[in-house]
Amino acid sequence: MFASKRLGKELTKIHQTLPPGISLVSASDFKEWQMDIKVLDANPLYLDQTYRLRFRFSNNYPIEAPEVTFITLSSPSRTVPTHPHIYSNGIICLDLLGTQGWSPVQNVESVCMSIQSMLTGNTKNERPPGNEEFVARNTQRPRDIRFVYEDATV
Amino acid sequence: MSHKAVALKEEGNKYFQDGDYKEAESLYSQAIQKDSTNPKIFTNRAMARLKLQSWDACVDDCIKAIELDHGSMKGYYYLAQAQLALNHPNEAFSSALTAYERCIETFDNSATAVSNLVLQAKKQKWEARERERIRGRSELLRELEDGLMKRKKEDLQRLKFKTLDFSEEAEEKADIELECRKKIEELRNIFAVADPKNMQRREVPDYLIDNISFTVMHDPVVTKTGNSYDRATVMEHLKRSHTDPLTREPLHMQDLRPNLALRQACEQFLTENGWAVDW
Repeated sequence: MFASKRLGKELTKIHQTLPPGISLVSASDFKEWQMDIKVLDANPLYLDQTYRLRFRFSNNYPIEAPEVTFITLSSPSRTVPTHPHIYSNGIICLDLLGTQGWSPVQNVESVCMSIQSMLTGNTKNERPPGNEEFVARNTQRPRDIRFVYEDATV
Repeated sequence: MSHKAVALKEEGNKYFQDGDYKEAESLYSQAIQKDSTNPKIFTNRAMARLKLQSWDACVDDCIKAIELDHGSMKGYYYLAQAQLALNHPNEAFSSALTAYERCIETFDNSATAVSNLVLQAKKQKWEARERERIRGRSELLRELEDGLMKRKKEDLQRLKFKTLDFSEEAEEKADIELECRKKIEELRNIFAVADPKNMQRREVPDYLIDNISFTVMHDPVVTKTGNSYDRATVMEHLKRSHTDPLTREPLHMQDLRPNLALRQACEQFLTENGWAVDW
């Protein structure tokens, strides 16, 4: 519909300026982009680490939410941050990425900022409950998973 | 008779879906011979003719369909496309606007596409005016340049009546040539600077931009938060989720109010800056 036009404009703006700790890695088309994020304060859990986010867009973006996950790479080294709402396979449990919580006024930059602040505020060095089982069994796409958002403070 | 027409139309639709527009058009024509009172057959043939780029024939079909059914959104929609292709921006603009109104009345799925067509027609109107403007400007420039050249010729003619030796004459000739060249250069510079299009940065103010599609709004509506969106795009969002895009509070189609002042501001901006449609 208007996905490519809108993403084109987001990209223009991203090339001009991005908030500290967020950088664009690749955006060769309007299907998939990769972004790097860093936690800026001295949170010991994520100190000196950079994490890679993969955005996948459908043709209905921004009416539909993008699919956003952390990905693992060996070079440069990128791991999935430890967080009670992030599964070890990179799937993020964040209401704004779900069908219910998404709004078309969100954008790539605002999503990155939300994830960044979700890491900044975290003090628990743990995975979500049932992580191993979820990672072993889940075959659904992230946006189709019905997470229960139990704790709005993390 | 009419059931035969419907069967022929259905068959035409199949060819259309397969991309055989020529065959589809011919089946629609046969359907029209059986029943010339069904506006849907005319709009289907109009669509096939759009694909075949038979613009004039498409216009005829659309007009016929609109005669038979004044509410025919598709009639106006295809008509606007054909008129745009024929480079009739004013007609295309008014057809697209009518199609848009029909879309909004019926919450038609094509609202965003039709809204975009309205903007395209607006852009074409602006381009036509721009061409006129540039032509007018360069004519004035050419006239002034011609005047300077004429003056130079006269000056050179006058040299012949003076009693000068060879090197003096050459020197004066060079001076006259140089002065004329300088003046023409300066004149061109003044025209370039005076053209606001060379000075202005091509930027669209944020308040004219729909926060969902990131394009200039054509029919802005305001929610109770005070934020405005383009009606067609916020409708797309509301089909999926009855929430305010910003606050996620409940929001329904009937809660939207037109933002008339902003609409005028958008219209005026596009009248002066047609390029912004593709921005």
